[in-house]
Amino acid sequence: MLDAVLDVVGAAALLLGLLIATIGLYGMLRRERVFEQLHAAGTVTGPAVVLILVGSVASGSADIITSAALVILFVFITSPLSAHAIAQAAWRREQDADDPRAP
Amino acid sequence: MPELLETIATAWVTLLLVGGGVLLLRAQDALHRILALDVLVAIVIALLTIVSYSRDVSYYIDAALVLALLSFGATLVAARHVIRGGRPRS
Repeated sequence: MLDAVLDVVGAAALLLGLLIATIGLYGMLRRERVFEQLHAAGTVTGPAVVLILVGSVASGSADIITSAALVILFVFITSPLSAHAIAQAAWRREQDADDPRAP
Repeated sequence: MPELLETIATAWVTLLLVGGGVLLLRAQDALHRILALDVLVAIVIALLTIVSYSRDVSYYIDAALVLALLSFGATLVAARHVIRGGRPRS
């Protein structure tokens, strides 16, 4: 019983994650500016990867679930940080381009 | 997990990888490339995870963890390089 439920939940999470990744990638291909692309990239590097890793509950193997939980924790920390670093770099560059005294 | 679903998921992620490659090729400057590489690494993490499910081995997810760590460091350093352009701190 529980196995069947976990199977369905895992498969649904996997497919939903793939769908979100596809939508995010399409958004990145559509947009030109860095900030707009960053908005779409946030969905691929954050929720999509986490959902695909949540699909590990269907595998029923303790090794895989433990490793996946570790990666989920790590993605939760690093995904916003790297997005912030890229946004800050883009913003600083625009400021420098507007500033006539910039080197 | 049913085998058909694993096959579909692997094929789907491979197509996403091709899309990420197109994104990388279309990038106009360094920041776009950094962003595209970030997304490509996320897709590769997804691919390794699905391979791990289909082979029922946990090592592939460990490789994905290391890849995520390396990508995080590379993104931070590359973004910092775009800001400062290799100039020393003033």
